[in-house]
Amino acid sequence: MTGITTHVLNITTGRPLTGVQVDLYDVATQPPTRLNSTRTNADGRTDAPMLAPQAARSGHFELRFHVGDFFKASDGLTDVVPVRFTVMDAAQHFHVPMLCSPWFFSTYRGA
Amino acid sequence: MTTTIHTTPRLARRQFALSGLALGAVALAPHAAKAQGSATAAGPAQASGPIVLHGVSPRLTVHALDTYHGAAATGLRIDFSMMRKDGQGYELVRSVVMNANGRSDEPLLIGDSYRPGDYELLLHVDEYFARKQAKLPMEPFLTKLPVRIRVASTSERIHLPIQFGPWSYTYSRGS
Repeated sequence: MTGITTHVLNITTGRPLTGVQVDLYDVATQPPTRLNSTRTNADGRTDAPMLAPQAARSGHFELRFHVGDFFKASDGLTDVVPVRFTVMDAAQHFHVPMLCSPWFFSTYRGA
Repeated sequence: MTTTIHTTPRLARRQFALSGLALGAVALAPHAAKAQGSATAAGPAQASGPIVLHGVSPRLTVHALDTYHGAAATGLRIDFSMMRKDGQGYELVRSVVMNANGRSDEPLLIGDSYRPGDYELLLHVDEYFARKQAKLPMEPFLTKLPVRIRVASTSERIHLPIQFGPWSYTYSRGS
């Protein structure tokens, strides 16, 4: 498998975050180009990859997680969490999870 | 450690004026300073730390830790920006470089500058790992790392710890 996938988890409940808008941008262009926008499913994943295997390429990308719509905490640390990363080898799969609460955000290159 | 930071008299006075916790930190300073090879290195770093500043005026502070090396992210450059009034992008407030303790010498915002709004910290992690000559087993996943936060209430301080490596990062609201 190649391309870019994600998974959004709520660390305050230990459950997936369902219905969160996630965008994928190409940030090598100015302004950044939106490549995809979708929402997480019941499992906190997106039904289709954020970047499909057949569209896989190297470049500079940014996932934007619209967590503010979901948490609705008036003192939440942010509404949108951007995760900017580099795909240096299009033959590899890039899984980019987001573990979060209204005040905590964690991401990593997953598998 | 090549970074040398000078304690100003103003900062020194402020430290002594603070709580018993601050005095405890000062008492520990000789050990920290010895480890860092500088008699004054612990002074300003402690002054932007959460324990010493407990109870003083609200502010935004940052603490960056390099989990790849298990060390404070000394030398990491962060561009600190505020969202424009029209909401169209961010405008640079200033660039800061993390000191020997992985903090900025001064709070990012304090006093009159601590205003509600949306802010971005752009961490130059690619530049940081390159300068440290980190031997990475593959090309890094993270290059420029944007961290966005909102200051909703200026009656409470926000401390922002950021832990990062070449492939992961975590940030949260601290205290």
